[in-house]
Amino acid sequence: MGDTEVKHRKVNRNKNKNEKNKEIPNPAVDPRDEGDGESTPEALPEELTEEPILKKSTSPKKSEKKQRNAGKAGTATAGQSLADLPTLAVTCHFNLLPMLLFGVALATRFYALDQPNSIVFDELHYGRYAGLYQKQTFFFDSHPPLGKQLLALAGYLGGFQGDFKFDKIGSSYNASVPVFAMRAVPALTGSLLIPLVYMIMLQLNYSQWTAALAGFLFLFDNALLTQSHYMLMEPIILFFAMSGVLCVLKFRALERSGNAQAHSYSLRWWGWLLSGSIFLTCALCVKYVGVYSYLLGLALVGHDFWEKVLGNLSLTKKQVFGHAVARFFAFFVVPLMVYIGVFYIHLTTLVNAGPHDSAMSSAFQASLEGGLSSIVRGQPLEVVHGSQVTLRHAHGSPCWLHSHAANYPVKYADKRGSSHQQQVTCYVAKDINNWWIVKRPNRTDLAVAAPLDRISHGEEIQLVHGITGRNLNSHNVAAPASPTKQEVSCYVDHNVSMPAQDVWRVEITNREEIGDVWHALESMVRLIHVNTSVALAFSGRMLPDWGHNQHEIVGDVMVNQPNTIFNVEEHRYTRNEDEKDRQLELMTTDFIPLEPVVMGFWEKFFELQIRMLFISNENVQNHMYTSSPWEWLVLTRGIAYWVSPDSNAQIHLLGNIFIWYSATIALAAYCGLLIFYLLRQRRQCYDIHEEAWNQFRTTGEVLLLGYVFHFLPYFFVDHTLFLHHYLPALAFKLLLNAALVEHLYYLTRLIFAKQFFNWMCVLIVLTWMSGILMVFNKFLPLCYGLGPMNATQILDLKLRETWDFIVHKP
Amino acid sequence: MPKAEGSDAPATATSRSTEPKSKKTLRNTAYDSGKTSTGLWWTLFGLILIATAATRFYRLDQPDHICWDETHFGKFGGYYINRTFFFDVHPPLGKMLIGLFGYLDGYNATFAFEKPGDKYEDYPYMGMRAGCAIMGALLVPLSFLTVWEMTFSLPAATFAGVLILLDHGMLTLNRYILLDPPLLFFISASVYATVKFHNQRHRAFSAPWWFWLSATGAMLVGSVAVKFVGVFVVFLVGFRAIADLWEILGDLSRPVSYTVKHFMARALCLIALPIVLYMGIFYIHLRVLYLSGPGDGYFSSAFQTHLEGNFLHNASTPREVAYGSLLTLKNSITGGGYLHSHMHLYPAGVGAKQQQVTTYSHKDGNNRWFIKKFNKPTPLWNSTDPIELVRNGDLIRLEHRPTRRNLHSHKEPAPVSRKHYQVTGYGENGTGDANDVWRLVIEGGAENEPLETMRHKFKLVHYLQNCVLSTTKKTLPKWGYEQQEVTCNPNLRDAAAVWNVEDNRFPRLPNVSFSAYKLNFFQRFFEAHAVMFSGNAGLKPKDGELTSRPWMWPINLRGQFFSAGEGVKIYLLGNPIIWWSNLAFMAFYLTLFVVKSIRDRRGIISSPHQKALQERALSACGWLYIGWLLHYVPFWGMGRILYFHHYFPALLFSSMMSGVVIDYLVESIPPLLPSGIRNSAYHLLVGVIISSLIYSFYLFAPLTYGMSNGPSTEANSTMYGLRWLETWEF
Repeated sequence: MGDTEVKHRKVNRNKNKNEKNKEIPNPAVDPRDEGDGESTPEALPEELTEEPILKKSTSPKKSEKKQRNAGKAGTATAGQSLADLPTLAVTCHFNLLPMLLFGVALATRFYALDQPNSIVFDELHYGRYAGLYQKQTFFFDSHPPLGKQLLALAGYLGGFQGDFKFDKIGSSYNASVPVFAMRAVPALTGSLLIPLVYMIMLQLNYSQWTAALAGFLFLFDNALLTQSHYMLMEPIILFFAMSGVLCVLKFRALERSGNAQAHSYSLRWWGWLLSGSIFLTCALCVKYVGVYSYLLGLALVGHDFWEKVLGNLSLTKKQVFGHAVARFFAFFVVPLMVYIGVFYIHLTTLVNAGPHDSAMSSAFQASLEGGLSSIVRGQPLEVVHGSQVTLRHAHGSPCWLHSHAANYPVKYADKRGSSHQQQVTCYVAKDINNWWIVKRPNRTDLAVAAPLDRISHGEEIQLVHGITGRNLNSHNVAAPASPTKQEVSCYVDHNVSMPAQDVWRVEITNREEIGDVWHALESMVRLIHVNTSVALAFSGRMLPDWGHNQHEIVGDVMVNQPNTIFNVEEHRYTRNEDEKDRQLELMTTDFIPLEPVVMGFWEKFFELQIRMLFISNENVQNHMYTSSPWEWLVLTRGIAYWVSPDSNAQIHLLGNIFIWYSATIALAAYCGLLIFYLLRQRRQCYDIHEEAWNQFRTTGEVLLLGYVFHFLPYFFVDHTLFLHHYLPALAFKLLLNAALVEHLYYLTRLIFAKQFFNWMCVLIVLTWMSGILMVFNKFLPLCYGLGPMNATQILDLKLRETWDFIVHKP
Repeated sequence: MPKAEGSDAPATATSRSTEPKSKKTLRNTAYDSGKTSTGLWWTLFGLILIATAATRFYRLDQPDHICWDETHFGKFGGYYINRTFFFDVHPPLGKMLIGLFGYLDGYNATFAFEKPGDKYEDYPYMGMRAGCAIMGALLVPLSFLTVWEMTFSLPAATFAGVLILLDHGMLTLNRYILLDPPLLFFISASVYATVKFHNQRHRAFSAPWWFWLSATGAMLVGSVAVKFVGVFVVFLVGFRAIADLWEILGDLSRPVSYTVKHFMARALCLIALPIVLYMGIFYIHLRVLYLSGPGDGYFSSAFQTHLEGNFLHNASTPREVAYGSLLTLKNSITGGGYLHSHMHLYPAGVGAKQQQVTTYSHKDGNNRWFIKKFNKPTPLWNSTDPIELVRNGDLIRLEHRPTRRNLHSHKEPAPVSRKHYQVTGYGENGTGDANDVWRLVIEGGAENEPLETMRHKFKLVHYLQNCVLSTTKKTLPKWGYEQQEVTCNPNLRDAAAVWNVEDNRFPRLPNVSFSAYKLNFFQRFFEAHAVMFSGNAGLKPKDGELTSRPWMWPINLRGQFFSAGEGVKIYLLGNPIIWWSNLAFMAFYLTLFVVKSIRDRRGIISSPHQKALQERALSACGWLYIGWLLHYVPFWGMGRILYFHHYFPALLFSSMMSGVVIDYLVESIPPLLPSGIRNSAYHLLVGVIISSLIYSFYLFAPLTYGMSNGPSTEANSTMYGLRWLETWEF
């Protein structure tokens, strides 16, 4: 292989030499004539034929001059979206264009912002979370909290008290909800996107007209408008992502400028670097998909480091190291601080217990004000002989070890037999039947008295079911739903020579931290069946009707797995010796007061992280409006967001189909051109100017890579996907579309000498833009939910058979 | 094969003129393993072959009962012998080979392969085991040769071979009647062929060049046709081909047409040839299995007409459906049942208390429905009225024949899927209400096209509720006799809402034989794939079920019992020394790669010898590392149930890589030492490495050859003190 490596490098060197040659203004040697003779462009550009001396820096000036002439002759409108335009236009329009776009953006995004005055789509969740922030009530969501915090802040400023109950999509808001204020967050960030993309395009060296075209595409895309009009996360995440990309591009410009050395570590240098990484981290803190924007930023900065710092041999080792440390700090340390900061606010704000607590561990719940802490407050810490406990399955979905006065059926549906003893299950709700009494095998009394008989790691116990008084038992009978595992039952003596095997050994798995003595809440215990060495385990299967659809409990030979770990959640000491009294006690008594659990920020933070990242609770199978990544390319499905109760007026997330299709075509065209140029350059044929190629390549590095980063991962995820997941990728695609328009215009000028073709180009772009406007206008009612609409009006919008609008009124 | 190989390979190594000079200097260092004499090469290769045969065949007949998944693949192999059609989520080649091995051994497929632990008794199972063991044994020489072709370094090749040879995981997995031995064989053969092909690049279009190119294609088919995960090696070969073409394109001394020629050759051998072979395998599969068997139900009605013994085989029925016909409707999704109803009502609290409608997978008189116009009663079979055909878009009613109730739906929640509407049987003697009216929509049908038996798939859209008749495949509770739920789904795009007419009785229309509906090979080919993919997608872990996750694999966290009951215990677990050092070597490779890239970038020049060593190691490791990534990373994104043994293709690459890295280390560490002890240091290093590998193999050998009963904590246990990780379950 070594020899090919060498050859490869030689070719590269040749190429470099060629490039160097090109920059020498030597009319005698046209570098294009090197190579194998295939390299001469089919039609030489005008500049070339006039003047074979091709010095890169002169060509813009020339074309400007030409354009100026053209501008004088042409009409004013024809100038739109041209690459290099009359200088006149440059001076007066420069600041006006983005302002104008921003103005229109604000107008469209804020138009009738508080209408419809009812819950639209995921406002159901985000609004509810914002309300919970006002009440400081803990909630669990698998996305990071920054976006919700912003909504909550807006709600707080608007006077929201959190009293509104977000029950279902379509319910009307009452006066206590500051709808306008809360929707203003996405509306504002959604509007700011437009000047942002304008600046990004300028930063990528595109003309202001292309930049304006990009803004135009963002402005008149129905999906971006719809998404910005309600309390949804995408505009916020897009705003942060695009701001971050812009800052990183500004930073790159400094890096790549002539005197990069002078700029290093300057205030601007630090400013762009840090703000870039902070914005990108913020995107990540709104939703985890923001990580792709962050990775894009990281890739760009890393690439420049490789090229400009490592490759710069004039820098000393020390300087290189300094640059590496600075970037490491900006892209790893700072993001970590921001991320943790966001969660710090989250966890210190939400101190009250709420409806989502059960997703967290018992200790976590016990640390919240009011929730479990009111129940477990002051319960005894050490589990002793005579303790009454509920045993919670410690990992994954919460359930408690449970039994009830019903036996396993004699025969199962698959003809297997059972022990016909009392059922033991794992029940997802708190129930009186979840109580068990811990007992030493050799003692008969149960009431707890001093001295306490503590249970420690490795000791043997029996568990008596509180209400039925039977002992937890296991034996060599196949479990009901998992035939390969062992059945667990509460022992009933059927006199069929099946002796009780009801002794269990306590193993505390975290005794390094907690100690050998069994503690309520904190100790993670595993119950090992003494006779057969199996562990009491949650199997994940559900019992059929006879088991009241509760979860199956089995004895599992695989001892070392999360499903065998339980912890004591509720705990008290037995007072009465008599069984009847004890049962009464179970049903009535309160708890003995003691200390509440205190959990530090870091413990809470790590537990929350683990739950958010590794335990998927999302399972919206069979949702009507799901779509697959392939369908996003051609806009096969939309999402119904809201429908008016009295007419067919509705909000439906749909992109501007004209924009989406052209962007998809542009994407394909860009890739095609890229491959074409690469193949041609491999043969040492340079079809376009070096400057144009650099611009084209940078576009690929930023926009195409951005698109791929935000789109490709969806092919590998396993959860339900919706159209709005595509919007971050779409943003990059729209920018790529605008960039390609300019590149095509450049190619037209390169290939055709005649002015006529330039005007044709402009005309086509203008027609295309007016088409976009028409489609935008046609689907506008679906963005705002304007009405009333009748069935024909709705069906009139159904351009594709697969779009499922709701028609529930004539 | 090794003979041709051996004489060829060293010859190329020394005689090739294109070899960079540095490589020659490399060979001539004092501590290098000599001049790679052909004799030494053959000695080492021979020793490895003998050791391979010895380890692979030692106690192959033990345990003499079904181990782990042998219960599936032994059974499937047997189906090829007795020609019974079955369904499996994997493509057929692996099972065909198992069937072939069994056939050669005289196995007559009478053993039931019921469950793991069943004794084989007198049935000849050794043929199948030996066949698989041979395929598995070939991995060792193939890895040796692959690394040899990549580096032309005998130590590297030897280390790679030994690492594969002495790994208990590889050994255990490759001794039983499983799909993994053929899969791993084809994967490593593809890699070997493509490396060999790459080394022919200086004599393009010569006979060996063509041979190795087409061999690559053929081996690729093998890996995909055993299991779909074999597709990752296709990507590896694809990348390699693209990289080669890119090199060729950059050679300006050749015209573009030369590149095109190269491209066409690769397209022919790596795309066209594999497709043909793959189809050929399926052709044999479908031809050989012509008897009805346990897999029928997964396939469409039309598919089943091919299977002898299936009731649809050679049956006959009218082609078109006329009003008044007596029909059975089958759901068209995989494993879909027949539309069914019976004289029982939904219990109180489950929607309206009307007659139940379900799907039922067995043939039954209660599956029969009359089709009639929405506004007319059922025409009699003996009437003389003109026959009216049922056409696309018609409004119809379906009347359940035994109970004479109409198929009905209304705005009540369905029993299990509460978001759908309930479907019931309603009315008396065929008279119902407006909620019995359904619109017939033929999938892809033209307007007014008559509905045809079997051939057409259609949806039934409820006229008033605008929902589709569908099955959720959820089992109803006891009151519904554990049949499957039928609902009306407001989502008209439900994939489970497609039905076809299977049985059609109408005496006034001429019967045509079902053979008219026979599918051609391509239709059956595509259907078989659709069914396999949906079967694969259906292998989802249930909530809370313990599944192996990809992060556990490389660290050898948890194994898999092959045989756990009384008697011999076999546990699939990697040799921890090999697995953990593989990880360390991979980390070392990545560090070396990064350091070398940075040094190059900073223009730091290493000694030519060091440079040549590094380039040899890095270029080989680069491709092997990509291979490892391709065979490992995709599992992270898979939602289906995963098992420990999914890691073994990746392990193959990882071990070969370790071989190369060890070679690099033993070549570059001694020069750092004083010149006097270099030579002995080199031999000491090699000796320590090889002997520690052999010792670890000896230590853990009972994993493969059978452990004694009893926990490993007891001193008399064969595994005493070897339970290094809590998670190992022996």
